[in-house]
Amino acid sequence: MQPLEVAVAPVTTLSSYESRRSHGSFGLSTAIVSLTAVAIRSARGCVFSAHDRDTALSPASYCLYMTRRSRRSVLASGTLAAIGLTGCLGDSGPNADSSSSSYDEGGGANGVTPEEMAATPDESAVETSPVPTAKSQLPVEYALESLREATVENVVPRDGIPSVDEPIFEPVADVGEGAEPRPDDPVFGVVRNGEAKAYPRSILVHHEIVNDEIGGEPIAVTYCPLTGTAMGFERGDVEFGVSGHLLNSNLVMYDRAEESYWPQMLATAIEGPLEAASLREVPVYWTTWETWVEAHPDSVVVVRDRDYVRDYENDPYRSYNPPSGYYAEDSDVLFEPLTADDRHPPKQPFRCSRPDDRPLAISLEGLREHGVYGISGDDREDDYLAAYDATLDVGHLYRVDDASGYEFDADASAVTGPDGERHDPADLPLESLSAYDAMWFAWAGFYPSTSVHE
Amino acid sequence: MSEFRSRAAATVAACRFALARRDARTLAAVVGIGYLLAYLWVTDLLTIRADAGTGWLLVDEPLARALERRGPISFEPVALLEFGYGTFLLSPIDAAIGVALSALVGLNLALATLAVVRPAACGIDAGRGGDDAGRGAATGVAAAVPALLSGTVCCAPAIALALGVQVSGALLATLPWLLPVGVVLLVGTLSYVAGKIDVDAGNEDGNTTAGAMGLEGHR
Repeated sequence: MQPLEVAVAPVTTLSSYESRRSHGSFGLSTAIVSLTAVAIRSARGCVFSAHDRDTALSPASYCLYMTRRSRRSVLASGTLAAIGLTGCLGDSGPNADSSSSSYDEGGGANGVTPEEMAATPDESAVETSPVPTAKSQLPVEYALESLREATVENVVPRDGIPSVDEPIFEPVADVGEGAEPRPDDPVFGVVRNGEAKAYPRSILVHHEIVNDEIGGEPIAVTYCPLTGTAMGFERGDVEFGVSGHLLNSNLVMYDRAEESYWPQMLATAIEGPLEAASLREVPVYWTTWETWVEAHPDSVVVVRDRDYVRDYENDPYRSYNPPSGYYAEDSDVLFEPLTADDRHPPKQPFRCSRPDDRPLAISLEGLREHGVYGISGDDREDDYLAAYDATLDVGHLYRVDDASGYEFDADASAVTGPDGERHDPADLPLESLSAYDAMWFAWAGFYPSTSVHE
Repeated sequence: MSEFRSRAAATVAACRFALARRDARTLAAVVGIGYLLAYLWVTDLLTIRADAGTGWLLVDEPLARALERRGPISFEPVALLEFGYGTFLLSPIDAAIGVALSALVGLNLALATLAVVRPAACGIDAGRGGDDAGRGAATGVAAAVPALLSGTVCCAPAIALALGVQVSGALLATLPWLLPVGVVLLVGTLSYVAGKIDVDAGNEDGNTTAGAMGLEGHR
């Protein structure tokens, strides 16, 4: 049994994030600087900077990264130059604040004050809605009005990122050589009523939602690349779509039945007939292609969409294998979080859950190292146990009467209970809790009261 | 209104005059094709990749799909072509926008270059008129930039990612205007440079002058 760790992690000095923050008024000087910087960068080719070294990319991969980055850089610099020249980027934007850093200690980056959500769903609307909703409301740490105001609307048109509504699958064993993901490429796996399906991240980054049926149950498998969250929801006969809005960088879905708006990570509607109601979550495992195929050799994998065509080899935010571009742990965020918290690199992945007594975030690296992780005290009403599952390289979370007495047998990849009995980490005789992986900045933004466990 | 018509007629005449010359036509084609490839590349419709396969894929309902917006001024691709060294996503409307922009950029450069480099052949005073045309050419080149950038409006986060800045409401509000602004600037500079060309003068003594200057004659 690992010692209880609820202490706040040491504050990491992320000066690189702060020093490079300068949003707000862009003028002629900004335009000139942007274009000059691009010209210099182009002339020099691959140039390392302190920040870039932090990404731990090899020179070769860095050069590749820079090569890929340059196209967007040139364009973006020109864009901002043009905008700066016309003086369009003033203080009028909702997030404009030239004096503050996103990662200034104390948070409140978006001017949103956390408070307990008081809204309750309209029971009659819930009863008549075709959207399956949870019996109890999931925790939300902001007022709905604040969340609506903080939503960045129309980043893309509605369904401009098209959901997959008629997915095409192939058995994983039949995926042709050269067409299959690389062994370390991330895939999202779902097992329902004995049926296992895999969804490559490279496909979902272009679609974000797959309206599917797994084990006879209609399930929406969803992924937000900007927050690194893959989540599943029961959907009944309703399809979900990409609204084009973002909240705290997170995908805001809409249901195509009554058009309520559902931020994925909250899983609670912030607007529409089902406002304040929560969805029923379905576990989605973030693992790798190699690991998934080994664990579920008889499963199927989604291969493409028949309605929309995309180049699945081309990720607009760079690559997860290895993490680079937007996915690099210490890279910047694109949208100001609801609450900023610089205790960890913005994109560091955590296993996150939101039990009623307080949200919690468990470091994936820490969980791999410890095997099992007891969480108690800290004003909590219950104890919790996180268990590492080497089969899929994922974590499971349980509610437990007493978190002490559990140990991890690394050789057998099993959890030994207080009674000395061994259990599969995925199937402990305890109450299972919903949990999902998320980037740190996104989780801390939505749930600033979270405890952190490393 | 009549002034607008006469300016439009003068612009058309100047374009026809330029395109009647092999050198100007070649320049317009080279610049236009280059710009089109750049436009497709920056919009992620064209990618170069050594490990690309070969083949193609067509969506189920291409006509309906082609009219669906996926960005402020960006539309759905209907086919994916893998040609061994890369991939091409065929979005008919995006491609048409790219072709139109490329034509404008090519014409701008061809007309301006004719006006600056060979003012006598074009009926322009080598002095002030050439300087004006030079400014027009520079403006034309500058006008090509926002039009090129307009292709990126489908993905504001990607632009912000490239620069390491955050996406603001102002940025989101501005991006959709890049294409219209680019087109207006391109048309404006084209008309401006065309106004500096005396087509008749060029026609009357163009052969003689061109011959004296060692330039290529009309075709």
